[in-house]
Amino acid sequence: MANQTPAVVMDNGTGFSKLGFAGNDSPSFVFPTAIATKGPAGGSGGSGSGRPAVANKPSFLTGGAGPTGHLSAKRGTEDLDFFIGDEAINAASGPGYGLHYPIRHGQIENWDHMERFWSNSIFKYLRVEPEDHYFLLTEPPLNPPENRENTAEIFFESFNCAGLYIAVQAVLALAASWTSSKVTDRSLTGTVIDSGDGVTHVIPVAEGYVIGSSIKSIPIAGRDITYFVQSLLRDRGEPDSSLKTAQEIKEEYCYVCPDIVNEFAKYDRDRSRFLKHVMTQPGGRQVTVDVGYERFLAPEIFFNPEIYSSDFLTPLPVVVDGVIQSSPIDVRRGLYKNIVLSGGSTLYKDFGRRLQRDIKQLVDARIRQSELRSGGAKSGGLEVQVITHKRQRHGPWFGGSLLGQTPEFRSYCHTKAEYQEYGPGIVRRFALLGGPGGS
Amino acid sequence: MLLLDYQNVLIQSVLTERFSGAPPVSIDQTVSDFDGVTFHISTPEAKTKIMVSIQIRCFQDLLRYGAEEVLNREYGPYVVPPEPGFDFSIVVDLENLPAEKEARDELVKNISLLKRNAMAAPFEQAYQEYYHLKAEAAKFTSEEAPQDVREGGEVKVIHYREEEAIYVKASHDSVTVIFSTIFREETDRVFGKVFIQEFVDARRRAIQNAPQVLFRNDPPLELQGVPGVKNTGTGGIGYVTFVLYPRHLTPQRMPDVISHIQTFRDYFHYHIKASKAYIHTRMRRRTADFLQVLRRARPDSEEKERKTASGRTFKVGS
Repeated sequence: MANQTPAVVMDNGTGFSKLGFAGNDSPSFVFPTAIATKGPAGGSGGSGSGRPAVANKPSFLTGGAGPTGHLSAKRGTEDLDFFIGDEAINAASGPGYGLHYPIRHGQIENWDHMERFWSNSIFKYLRVEPEDHYFLLTEPPLNPPENRENTAEIFFESFNCAGLYIAVQAVLALAASWTSSKVTDRSLTGTVIDSGDGVTHVIPVAEGYVIGSSIKSIPIAGRDITYFVQSLLRDRGEPDSSLKTAQEIKEEYCYVCPDIVNEFAKYDRDRSRFLKHVMTQPGGRQVTVDVGYERFLAPEIFFNPEIYSSDFLTPLPVVVDGVIQSSPIDVRRGLYKNIVLSGGSTLYKDFGRRLQRDIKQLVDARIRQSELRSGGAKSGGLEVQVITHKRQRHGPWFGGSLLGQTPEFRSYCHTKAEYQEYGPGIVRRFALLGGPGGS
Repeated sequence: MLLLDYQNVLIQSVLTERFSGAPPVSIDQTVSDFDGVTFHISTPEAKTKIMVSIQIRCFQDLLRYGAEEVLNREYGPYVVPPEPGFDFSIVVDLENLPAEKEARDELVKNISLLKRNAMAAPFEQAYQEYYHLKAEAAKFTSEEAPQDVREGGEVKVIHYREEEAIYVKASHDSVTVIFSTIFREETDRVFGKVFIQEFVDARRRAIQNAPQVLFRNDPPLELQGVPGVKNTGTGGIGYVTFVLYPRHLTPQRMPDVISHIQTFRDYFHYHIKASKAYIHTRMRRRTADFLQVLRRARPDSEEKERKTASGRTFKVGS
């Protein structure tokens, strides 16, 4: 049946979901992973966990207390009264609906909401019959296998999807970097720096397998940069220092400089580097905001965190170096050679170049030291390369689209028949897509 | 949330964005829709010329029932020879858009309804046949009407999916639409049955002017002699019959009725899946309840006597 239909690629992240069809160069839909349901937010939370602890004796034969009790008595379609994505945000701003985010820290927390979120994204937005399509989903690194099983249960039993593949986001981000001209060998070994809105991860991947013990996260990401810009605006007493203004300034004007001190000097010599940002306030009034040093200071918090935070002080290059040093020795060369950026907060101009230079300095310093200690031995040097490419923003999605359109993709998927034969445990293992032996 | 939209949301959003005067960019997107329909939005010649192509499995069937006229009527000035591999293409030039915003929105809406309009042809033809037959039948009393007026028009078959088809038949007092449905999944079949029963009962309960719905496992009498109708008798195939009465057949209602009935299968499957999701929700909650009961039932730490290999005993402190 599903002979020529394109595979559906869904990348459900903490903040945004990216949905689309394999073979396209950008996701068809990008909207918040949010669902608005009837009733107050957070009320009917997780599976049973959000149940109000009322004195209602739990006579489980009549159905539990709480929201289910009255829901089961209804014959209507109240369970369909919800919105997802941007519509959810709109609905939640009005009365009657509460907003929920079913994914927390990359992992699905509320399966009830997620199942409905998926159902709606498939039928309402993508408009596909799941029985006709193969699905490629993503998961964060270190996702518990139980979560995979739950996902498979929903996709095979609720939606009867034709076939399913669950890939790790970091691996897909590596695959997405194949579009860069700097990448020649299409290997699945590399270090992924994934910086989204909430958190930045540094994930080493060897031959398509995540080295889980070496993953490091940094509590500095897009949101922090926005806050930092906002605080700079506040300090200067700008007429508008809302979060939205800060975000726009961050996205439009910020870049990474090679050296802060020089950059300050350049700004003082050349007044044309100071810009003005025109902001339309909700009332329709236009306000002009000055944009100054924050242009290069904001992304600088990755490299000198002490200017923003007082509890996290390790610069990103040091973290990346540490991650690679803690990985098995035989893959380190590959990890240094292929450092791939992914996510919206890595899009600043020259981010990759600065990162490469800083890591290179760390590595060279170490090599020099060991040369000195060894007394005369010469090192052949180590190649450090940070890959910047055009698809960084939706890296994992694009990698999925790339792999999902290959002719072999379907043979890597688990089909419904296989699922029924072995049970949910089958999704604990997937053949490595695009790895050695693959395309 | 109850009903599915008729238009393709993606085409709509892409075109709305393009038409709003944003700087032209090249587009190359493959889009899928229900029933194996594939769209391709691209800018093959210039960034300002957007081509939308559609590929439908049953396009030959549709052509036979006048799809070309309907499509030409809807998209007249935009139609171009189909892109290779696709059945029908239109090209919109961004430099030649209607000036008013309303007209542009209308155009977007219309293009995103491409699939609906292509599929609408057989239904529109059945409507025309019905009007014709009604006029004919009005000339006679019921006994002496000629054979062809009493029997109605031929059965139009649309093989819109590999194993499933829509049959449309017009007669002088109604239009019958029959869906053959196949479930590859036993659970879905049960859900489907309950669901269709609700449709059948709807007329009896409250909604008097709903079309009559019948469900059976063997081909209805209307389909006797239609090639390709298999009587498996195993119950694997179900036939859902909608009988549209003159009330639904007014020209004013035609577009709505056609849209509704086209999305029946998708609507049907969407709701089966939604019911499953709902039942899963309740199952999860019930499990959580049971677990809570179990936890409560766990006895307080009791004192146990354990023996070591040598037979000595000692107390396990609590």
